[in-house]
Amino acid sequence: MKHKSPAVRLLLLVLIGAVLIIGSGYVDQLRSYQGAQAAIFAIAISSIVLLTGYSGQISLGHGALMAVGGYAAVLCQTHLHIPYPFAFLVGTFAGGVAGFLLGIAAARLRGPYLAGTTLALAVGLPSLANQFHILGGEQGLLFDVGNPPASLGSDFTQYRWFFVVTVIAAILVFWLLRNLLSTRYGRRWRALRANPTAAALSGIKVGKAKVLAFTLSSCVAGLAGSLFAMLLGLVAPLAFTLTLSFTLVTGAVLAGVSNLGGSIVGAVVLVAIPELSNTAAAHFGGSDKVTANLPGVITSVLLIATVLFVPNGPKLPRMKFLARTRQ
Amino acid sequence: MFVQRRTKGGIFAAAVVAAAALVASALPAHAETGVTSSTIKLGVTIPLTGAAAPGYNKIPAAMNAYFSYVNANGGVNGRQIKLVVKDDAYSPAQTLSVTNDLILKDKVFALVGTLGTANNEATTRLVNSQGVPRLFVNTGFSGFADMKKYPTTFPLFPSYATEAKVMGKYLADNFAGHKVALIYQDDDFGMDALKGFSTAGTNFVAKIPYAALSQADPSVVGKWITSIVAAGADTVVMFGVTSATGALAGGLYKANLIGKVQLILGSVGSDGTTLKGLLGPLAPALAGSIAASFLPSPADATDEYITQFKAINAQYNAGATFDNNVLVGMNTAMLTVQALRAAGTSPTRASLIKAIETKGSTWASAAFSPILYSPTSHVGYTGYWFGKLGLDGNAVSVDGPGKYTLYTTDSGSAPVVKAVASRPAMPAKGLPKN
Repeated sequence: MKHKSPAVRLLLLVLIGAVLIIGSGYVDQLRSYQGAQAAIFAIAISSIVLLTGYSGQISLGHGALMAVGGYAAVLCQTHLHIPYPFAFLVGTFAGGVAGFLLGIAAARLRGPYLAGTTLALAVGLPSLANQFHILGGEQGLLFDVGNPPASLGSDFTQYRWFFVVTVIAAILVFWLLRNLLSTRYGRRWRALRANPTAAALSGIKVGKAKVLAFTLSSCVAGLAGSLFAMLLGLVAPLAFTLTLSFTLVTGAVLAGVSNLGGSIVGAVVLVAIPELSNTAAAHFGGSDKVTANLPGVITSVLLIATVLFVPNGPKLPRMKFLARTRQ
Repeated sequence: MFVQRRTKGGIFAAAVVAAAALVASALPAHAETGVTSSTIKLGVTIPLTGAAAPGYNKIPAAMNAYFSYVNANGGVNGRQIKLVVKDDAYSPAQTLSVTNDLILKDKVFALVGTLGTANNEATTRLVNSQGVPRLFVNTGFSGFADMKKYPTTFPLFPSYATEAKVMGKYLADNFAGHKVALIYQDDDFGMDALKGFSTAGTNFVAKIPYAALSQADPSVVGKWITSIVAAGADTVVMFGVTSATGALAGGLYKANLIGKVQLILGSVGSDGTTLKGLLGPLAPALAGSIAASFLPSPADATDEYITQFKAINAQYNAGATFDNNVLVGMNTAMLTVQALRAAGTSPTRASLIKAIETKGSTWASAAFSPILYSPTSHVGYTGYWFGKLGLDGNAVSVDGPGKYTLYTTDSGSAPVVKAVASRPAMPAKGLPKN
C-alpha cells in the first residue's frame, strides 16, 4: 500500500478541520462544547495509542500527565502572564518532562508492574495539589482565557471558540503523529511491540525507544490536559481523577488500540455515551439513581464487548490516510 | 479492497446521520427561556453517586415532592414547576458538563440548590455569561455573596465563616480550658472556617486538614485519630461533610475513644439519619455530640414547619425518611416557590432576581435566622443554634426541646450576638400566598 506524503495528509486534515469549524456555526453551544470535549479526548486517546498501540507500553496514569500539563499551563499563564496559546506549549513541554522521568522508570518495567506504577501516579499525583498552596488545594486554580477574538464578531460564542482551538490542536497532533509513525521511529516502536527481544537483536535500542515513546506520548497528554483546563476554566484535583485515566484507556480500547484514526471514534463514543444514556433514561423513565449510573454501565458493557468480540477495535472506523499501514 | 471501500461508505453515512441529528436537536427559542404558558423548568446539580452522595442524594427527591404538592394545588400563577436533576458525583468537571446540559439543552429558567463550593465555582463563567439565576446554592462559601463576581447567585446557608465564628463563641462559653482539635476539609469550605475561627480567637491543639473525598480512605481516618491522640485533645470539632463525620466516628470507635472525646459537629456534617445509614449499629456512638444547625431539628414534632413538611413528605416522597436533607430540600423548594410567585405572572430571569433582592427577606422559611437579601446584599441566613444528638441521631436544643437560642453574626468582624429565635409563620397548608 502506498504512503501519502505529509503534505497530502495535512491537506486532507485541514479540509476536515475546515468543514468542522464552518459546521460549528450551524450547531448550538452545547454541541460546540461536546465537540471541543471530543477533540480533547481524541488528542488524549491518541497519546495512549502512540504509547500502547505502537511501543507496546501500558499507562493507567495518563490522567495524571494531563494534570501536569493543565497545572503547568495555568500556573504560567497566571504568574508569568504569557498569552494562553503559549501556555498550551508550556503544558505540552511539562507533560513531556514528567513523561521522560516516568519513562525512564517505565522502560525497566513490563506488564502489570508498569500498569501498577502508572496507576499509582494517577492516584497520587493530583492530590499533590493539596500539599502546596501555590497549586490551590482541592479548590483548584481558575484558568480564564478571556473572550474569543473580537474580530470574529459578538455572535461567536466562547464554546465555539474552544471548539476551534481544540480542533486546530487535534489536527496538528494527528498530522505530526501520523508523519512520525511512518518514519523509522514508528517502525522501531512497532518492532518493539511485536517482540522486544527480536527488536533488540535487530539493533534497536529498546530502552531508548521506549523512553522516547513515553516522552512523546506524555507531551500529547500534557497538551490535552492544558486544553481540558481551558474548557473547564479551572484545574482541580477532582478534574483529573482516576476515572479520567480509565476513561482514556477505555476510549483507546474502543477505538482499537493500534489505530490512530480510531481515537477520533473512541472520543466521540465517550462524549456520546452520557448523551445516549440520558435519552434512554428519559425514554424508559428510570429513577435518578438509574440515570446517574447508566453511563458507567454502558461504558463497561461496551468495553467488555469490544475485548471479547473485536479486540483490535471495530473495523468500521478505519480511515485509510490515518490508519497504520500494513504490508 | 472491496470490503474496505464499503466500510468507508459506512463511515460517511454514519457521519451524515450524526450531523443531521446534531442540527435537528437545536430547539426553537421561547419568550423567556424555561418558561411556557403552563410550565417553569428549573435545574439542580447534586452528587447522586460517589463518596459525597450519601444524604445529599435525598435532596432532589424532597424538592420534587414539595414542587409536586404545589403543582397539585395549582402551581405557581397557573404554571407547573418541573425540576431537572443532574448527577455530578461532586466532581467540578462533571458539574460543568451537566450544567451545560441544563442551561443549553434542557434550557432551564433557573438553577436551584446546586451543591458544592468548587462545583458552583466551575459553572460560574457559564452561569454569568448566560445570566441564569442561581438560587439558594447548597454551600456556605461566603464568597458567593459577592454580587460583583456572582451577580445572579443567591447563597442561602449561613457562611462557613459565620458558623466557625459562632462555634468559636460557643467553645469559649462552654469549653474553656479544654484541648480542642479541628478537622476540616482542605478547600475554600475549610479555609472559610479557619478564617472564622481565627476571628473568634479559638485556639486548637491540632488542626487536621483532609482532601475532599479522602475520608473514604481508612488510612486517612487513621491519621486523624493519630493526630487527635498525639495532641491529647479531649474535644474534636469536625468541619466536614457527613460522610467524613461517619468516618471519624468509625475511627474513634476502633481506637476505643468513644465517650472519651467530645465531638462538636458543623451543620454540614451532622445529619442524624444519614449518619445512622452510614454507621448502622455504630450510630449511637455519636450520641452526646453537639451539633450546630440553622434549621429546626427534623425530629421536633412541635415545630409547625416540620409537621407540615412531614405531611407533604409522607404523601409525595415515596416513603423517604424525614431528615435534615429532606428538610433542606423542602425549605429550598418553598423559598423557590415564593421567589417564582414574586417574579410576576410573566416571570423573566431579571424579574426573578429583582423579586428576591427586594422581597426575599420577608419570605417564610424554616430557619430561625432572618434572611438578609436586599438590592445591595446577597447574604442569606446568618445564625445557628446548638443541639445535642440523641441515641436516635436527632439533635435536641441544648436549652431543651422547642427552645432555641440563636447565635448570629456576619462573615466579617461583627461580634456574635445571642438572641431568642423568631421567624415568619408557616403559610396555611404550606402553600405560600405572597
